[in-house]
Amino acid sequence: MSTAAEKPRSLSWRQFRAILRKDIVMELRTKEMVTSMGIYALLTMVVYQVALSQASEAFDPREIASGLLWLAFIFTSMLGLNRSLVHEKDQGCLEALLLSPVDRPVIFFAKAIGNLVFLGIVEMLTIPIFAFLFLQGSGYAGDWWMIPLVLAAGSLGIAGVGTLLATMSVNTKGKDFVLAVLMVPLMYPLLLAAVSATTTAVLGGADATTPFWQAMALIAGYDGIMLVASYGLYEFVVGA
Amino acid sequence: MKQLKIALVLLLIGGVLTTVAFFMAFFTAEVQRFGTVKLDEPVTYQNEAGETITSAFPFQIVTQETTAAPSAEASGAASVDTTGTASAETTVAAPQFEYGKPWFSQKIFYFHVPVAEASFLVLLLSAYFGIRFLTTRRKEYDTKSRIAMETALVFVVLTMITGVLWTKASWNQWWDWEPRLTTYFIMMLLMVAYFVLRNSSEDEERRAVYAGAFAVIAAIDAPISFFITRLLPSNHPVVFKSGMATSNLLPFIVAQIGMLMIGYAIYVVRMHEERMRERLEVVKDALED
Repeated sequence: MSTAAEKPRSLSWRQFRAILRKDIVMELRTKEMVTSMGIYALLTMVVYQVALSQASEAFDPREIASGLLWLAFIFTSMLGLNRSLVHEKDQGCLEALLLSPVDRPVIFFAKAIGNLVFLGIVEMLTIPIFAFLFLQGSGYAGDWWMIPLVLAAGSLGIAGVGTLLATMSVNTKGKDFVLAVLMVPLMYPLLLAAVSATTTAVLGGADATTPFWQAMALIAGYDGIMLVASYGLYEFVVGA
Repeated sequence: MKQLKIALVLLLIGGVLTTVAFFMAFFTAEVQRFGTVKLDEPVTYQNEAGETITSAFPFQIVTQETTAAPSAEASGAASVDTTGTASAETTVAAPQFEYGKPWFSQKIFYFHVPVAEASFLVLLLSAYFGIRFLTTRRKEYDTKSRIAMETALVFVVLTMITGVLWTKASWNQWWDWEPRLTTYFIMMLLMVAYFVLRNSSEDEERRAVYAGAFAVIAAIDAPISFFITRLLPSNHPVVFKSGMATSNLLPFIVAQIGMLMIGYAIYVVRMHEERMRERLEVVKDALED
């Protein structure tokens, strides 16, 4: 790294990068989070197959595809978030971070971005598998950038709020259960909007643009409010 | 003890006010009491599948048959008519729909809406105390936040029960995933989650901080749920959009004041109980030493 004589503004940037790098390096060595999340997502697909096995021939899987996908993402993300914070706690890393002169918001953003990266990787692995298993022969009607945009915006909300909630739940008795109880209702508006945006992107049509952007506006509003709230509350939560 | 007395007095007044509102709803409010209700068209509600569902109350079609009636009323109406020929042609009136049962379900409005609005207010109060706790770290604010959340949860459950009853009566189905109902349901889940979080944290200081933070996040849903019927197309009625007749507004306001008093009284009594318990703990500790 460079010398300490640099501007203080770049200091938090370097701290941010250091924490993020720590998470990524640890993941590269253990490959624990992405593997467990990926396998979990794959297992979810198997369960979906069972759930859809009695559907009739005329059933169009595209209508519920995005719902199923986001369902997989939300549950996988809970698994990953829990793991990400359990590591920090069990190995005493979070305490060390708190002892070091790092601003609390920097910790929040580094952890959230780290979780976002892992969630993104899992999503990119899951979508082709899902399409291969369930959507063979169905067309995709929207523009190519629509789905990545929804994924990015939705995952940002999941990672941001999830990091705050996981930081709380990891210190409770029923770790992952508490995370689920806190997270699912809180994620509801985001999920609803994300599923609606993804579905309009998949189904397309002449009048798909307006509902798509309405849903995107809802996601953006949710992300804005919730990230500001999480950012403001993280300082209290992480130090407790 | 003084606070407890005030609370009991408030509870009494609040109870009297809500009871008064209840009777006003039946005897002075616009949509009138027992008996039958005549409307120009059947009350219907369209569900998501596009099927038209009529209200749960059975109704009969009553066509007005005032064929040049010799009755005083009809002739009186005819004399006003400028054509002078008060005849059957002009009074082949549109069919009216007579409800065999009283227009009963509307009366729940005077209970459901005050309770719902009180629940929003008390939830916001809980979040306010949550913020106060996070900034001051004084234990009393945590207790206040928790008690407010408890009171809010009581109100939310009451709102849910009355709401579901009304939905069945008016839309002929127990539950519908429409914006207001959904956001309110989510709000209830968040409040339940608040207590799950509390019970699951062992460290006292930590529990208080987490609960305060989560109360703030949960309270974000209160304004969303309140305004969503005004922003999105929703089947749920919006109270102040179209205005209310004074005879309806009066019992509503009386019920609202009564409900807030009851809410405050519950809050004060619970706070009192909590203080007594803390004092008891102190005494117990002192005895053990």
